[in-house]
Amino acid sequence: MKVYLTADKDGQELKNILVAYLADENYEVVDLTETPADDFADSANLLVQKLKEDEKGLGIAVDAYGAGSFMVANKHKDIVVAEVSDEWSAHMTRRHNNARIITLGSEIVGPGLAKGVAKAFVTADYDGGRHQIRVDMLNAMC
Amino acid sequence: MKIAIGCDHIVTDTKISVADHFRELGHDVIDVGTYGFVRTHYPIFGKKVGELVASGEADFGVVICGTGVGISNAANKVPGVRAALVRDVTTAKYARRELNANVIGFGGKITGEHLIRETVDAFIHEEYQPTEENKVLIEKIDSIEGEYDPKEQNKELFDEYLEKWDAGYYKDEE
Repeated sequence: MKVYLTADKDGQELKNILVAYLADENYEVVDLTETPADDFADSANLLVQKLKEDEKGLGIAVDAYGAGSFMVANKHKDIVVAEVSDEWSAHMTRRHNNARIITLGSEIVGPGLAKGVAKAFVTADYDGGRHQIRVDMLNAMC
Repeated sequence: MKIAIGCDHIVTDTKISVADHFRELGHDVIDVGTYGFVRTHYPIFGKKVGELVASGEADFGVVICGTGVGISNAANKVPGVRAALVRDVTTAKYARRELNANVIGFGGKITGEHLIRETVDAFIHEEYQPTEENKVLIEKIDSIEGEYDPKEQNKELFDEYLEKWDAGYYKDEE
């Protein structure tokens, strides 16, 4: 499983910290923005495009607040995304929502929390079962 | 103000607390449900809140589920909605001020009622401040809606899944 990371200028520094951290943790990391994207929309759109190509991959988008990347990624059909700033949400959204992207804000979370959230996200698996009806419903929407 | 509010069965008590908070402040509340603790599905209520806001029937929307993720995804997928899922006042104010967000989401099992109340108050009182830069960003968010077919967003959208649910199709592993 590959973990793709993207950022705009505001998220670039924190994204780089997460790229190094996840690589140290032996995840296969793909840094999509070695040069930061022009804005969070370009960053999140790029991440969605990559995850549509690699259906097993997960993604992390970092901008200033996480809110912009969330709005952009979520507008895409078949994409469930979580704007998070705590480890439990990051873990549970994999298990219950089958979210494939989390968004983080560099103005909101520090490096330590960001690492904990990223780890919680990539180590959890989707539960399926009764949760699949809700994911089917989300995927039926645009 | 008129505020639409919705939740799933995990956090109905939190939703009632936030709805009552709005009523105490004199706002009109449209509570789309769910109204109890019987198992249901968050997209139903996120979509309803989103549609009330997108149509202009409500000024703002508030959506709450366990982590807030599922119901915020449903609301934000309604064309015309820009939803923020937050755990702090700072992000809520940013989303209003810079991105003209019209729905706010919370994890009712993540964020306490007092912080939720403080954050919704900050959200509905913060005003969008248009700039050349943020207009471009909002246009980029909204333009994604044009890539997909809006005809799919109808009232019967979820019927086939609910029928499959009733038929026992969605089973948890033993």
